[in-house]
Amino acid sequence: MKKTVDARGLEPPQPFELVMDALADLPKGESLLLLLDRMPHPLFRILDRDGYKYESRIRDDGVVEIDILNP
Amino acid sequence: MIPDGQTLSYDAAPAFSTPLRFFITAPLFGAAAGATLLAAPDLLDSRWTPGALAVTHLVAVGFMLTVMLGALFQVLPVVAGAVIPRSGPVATVVHLAMTIGAVCLAWGLGSGSHAFLVPATVLLGGGLALFVVAAFLGLRRIPVAQATPRDLRIALLGFAVAVALGITLALALGGRLDLPLLTVLKLHVGWALLGGSGVLLAAASWVVVPMFQITPNYPVALTRFWAMGTGAVLLVWSAAVYGELGSAELALSAVLAGLCVLFAVITLKLQRQSRRSVPDMTTRAFQIGMGSFIAGLVCVLVAQQSEHQVWPLLAGILILHGGFVSVIVGMLYKIIPFLAWLHLTQDVGKAPNMKKLQPDSPIRRHLALHAVALAALLIAAFVGNAWLIRLAGLLVVAEFALLLANIIKVLGNYRRAHAA
Repeated sequence: MKKTVDARGLEPPQPFELVMDALADLPKGESLLLLLDRMPHPLFRILDRDGYKYESRIRDDGVVEIDILNP
Repeated sequence: MIPDGQTLSYDAAPAFSTPLRFFITAPLFGAAAGATLLAAPDLLDSRWTPGALAVTHLVAVGFMLTVMLGALFQVLPVVAGAVIPRSGPVATVVHLAMTIGAVCLAWGLGSGSHAFLVPATVLLGGGLALFVVAAFLGLRRIPVAQATPRDLRIALLGFAVAVALGITLALALGGRLDLPLLTVLKLHVGWALLGGSGVLLAAASWVVVPMFQITPNYPVALTRFWAMGTGAVLLVWSAAVYGELGSAELALSAVLAGLCVLFAVITLKLQRQSRRSVPDMTTRAFQIGMGSFIAGLVCVLVAQQSEHQVWPLLAGILILHGGFVSVIVGMLYKIIPFLAWLHLTQDVGKAPNMKKLQPDSPIRRHLALHAVALAALLIAAFVGNAWLIRLAGLLVVAEFALLLANIIKVLGNYRRAHAA
């Protein structure tokens, strides 16, 4: 089952720290689902730099979902 | 299937130094405003004295606009996902133009030397025009449906109108244009404080308040319609002012004041619903700011019915120093340590806790001094005593010096962490 990191309702940079910790433990070929209150533009820069693949979408209730794959 | 990356280019994300140069310059203008009060206390005799005009612009352009532009270089990419093209060189030119332009403007207004107003208008007009064009280029791919990017565009247009009216005023003061000065001045103040600064504050608050103060989101109806509605009423108000329709102007002023109070009251209500058990320093700064806005708007409405010189002065102090300066300072204490943390994480892979980069106690001392300076300014303006005005000026110098010292301390912590 895909791991979910729920980082809603936290003050920056705690969501960022949570996801970076989760990515450090993410095995190659696996992905995780990140839940946030808003689009994390600075995180995308780091995901690009470190070679992760990702896809984001905004749910009807405003929650931002991001699938991140460690290729 | 997850695609490679996404559509935005992050290569042009600004360096830490891009916004920082604005944040370090701005407190110097605030301190200069205090020093001017200290040296010439009679400038508070009315809002029309050359000294009062100089102090107003040292705060509004030198401090407020400088911080706002610096923050936008970072807010646009981090919050809106917009990348300002060639942000480094653009920031260098905008910063130089705004800094030298603000000095020329304050000196020209304070000394009555119109020779300084021409370079001021060229530099401030040119610097802001360059920023607005660069920001719109950055925002062109961002959907207008999102509240903050859409309202940032409205604020940029508001600033452009305010600066154009300011240039018109400067030319009229220099005898180059024959215009009804009071009419143009009212429009300039309305667009600068509400169309530019007020809408920008709201656009930033839609994101900053829920994100950093852990509150529920603003009501969707407010974020969707407040800025556009305020801009539309401001346009109609401008027509009433220009057409000298006194009763329509008064009614529309009341509507605009109502919209501002609505924003302030909802912000305070959201802060009461924060998940924090104890309000943090930024929340305190916002509380001082929102309370001052409400009190300042009451003074604006009273000033329209009273001939007494003190009401516009109190309104100006409450809205500029109590309102905008408080909120801007509160945001700076979040933005600067967050950027330090972000750049450390990107550059060296790890960063200390944000509270280590920016502890609470220096902020608490600064906000206390800021509140005392605000109270001293209000009492001094009300009583009109020269020594009280000097004391208030000294407190204003001290509060901006402390703000600069606190910013430099964060940079010291950043450098030490970077070198470790």
